[in-house]
Amino acid sequence: MNTLIDLTGKHILVIGASSGIGKQTAITLSSAGAKLTLVARTEANLIATLHELEGKGHAYCAADISELSGIEETVKQIIHKNGSLDGMVYAAGISMSMPLQMFKPEKLQSLFDVNFFAFVESVRQITKKGRYNPGMRIVGISSIASLKGDKTHLGYSASKAAMDAAVRCIAKEVAGKDICINTVAPGMTATGMLSRFTDNIGSNSESMKELKSRQYLGVIQPEAVAKTIAFLLSPAAEYITGITLPVDGGMTTC
Amino acid sequence: MTNQEKIALLEETLEIDEGTLTEDTLLEDVDEYDSMAKLSLIVMMDDEFAVKLTGDMIKGFQTVGDILAVMEKA
Repeated sequence: MNTLIDLTGKHILVIGASSGIGKQTAITLSSAGAKLTLVARTEANLIATLHELEGKGHAYCAADISELSGIEETVKQIIHKNGSLDGMVYAAGISMSMPLQMFKPEKLQSLFDVNFFAFVESVRQITKKGRYNPGMRIVGISSIASLKGDKTHLGYSASKAAMDAAVRCIAKEVAGKDICINTVAPGMTATGMLSRFTDNIGSNSESMKELKSRQYLGVIQPEAVAKTIAFLLSPAAEYITGITLPVDGGMTTC
Repeated sequence: MTNQEKIALLEETLEIDEGTLTEDTLLEDVDEYDSMAKLSLIVMMDDEFAVKLTGDMIKGFQTVGDILAVMEKA
């Protein structure tokens, strides 16, 4: 990490820090000097992430973010124990691939609970007076699926598009509080979610071959996405707000 | 659930006309049994029978009866 991205002493909340891009983001932010509070469902996984962080003063809080009514108390506890926030990364997310006819309302609801409603509720809670420091920056992990359509992706794509749309609106509302909010939209990234998706549709399926041909710079490593997030959390990105930044290996150009 | 009810559920899942399938129907003869239909089958089996189909299980299905047999186990 070069000095362009210096997050020394910044208190950043990482929700969904136990695996995938969230976990890598926590590691990368700690290497830039940030003081982190990690949130995820499983305590053991949080502790495992904690052990990989650089620096001291990090904390964790095990919480099921899909329980929307519990988010306020979780945020209050974190701020009471560790101080007000300089940033948040929302990396909690689930993927669900199935044809339209199988997407019953309860499935969409459970997907949106984690990917969208909990994101908005987390943002709502941390942007209350006294819970943030001036210059706070928020980054949500969206997906290139929000911009592209494909069979079986309607729920995931729609939930991520909702996130992006919300950010465009929230950015204007919170600008007066000196808060910036953005999303990053990764393409295919080497995480457990990609492995499960590949298992589901088949690594040699036509859909997979098409995806790979469209992402012509190759499968993205989580660290590349994490560095982009670190940039958006840093003062170097002070005039960037309300956008969705693709980190997609060229996919949106196809 | 009777076999007839299971076959009806399978027809609905695969979006095949009612009364088309029998236990002996070869899946390779069913045009609608494509990759999307297999995804639908995975979801239906999980939702209705709490059965997690694997890729190997799906590859092993030759006839409608093979699928019904897995529904039997639930």
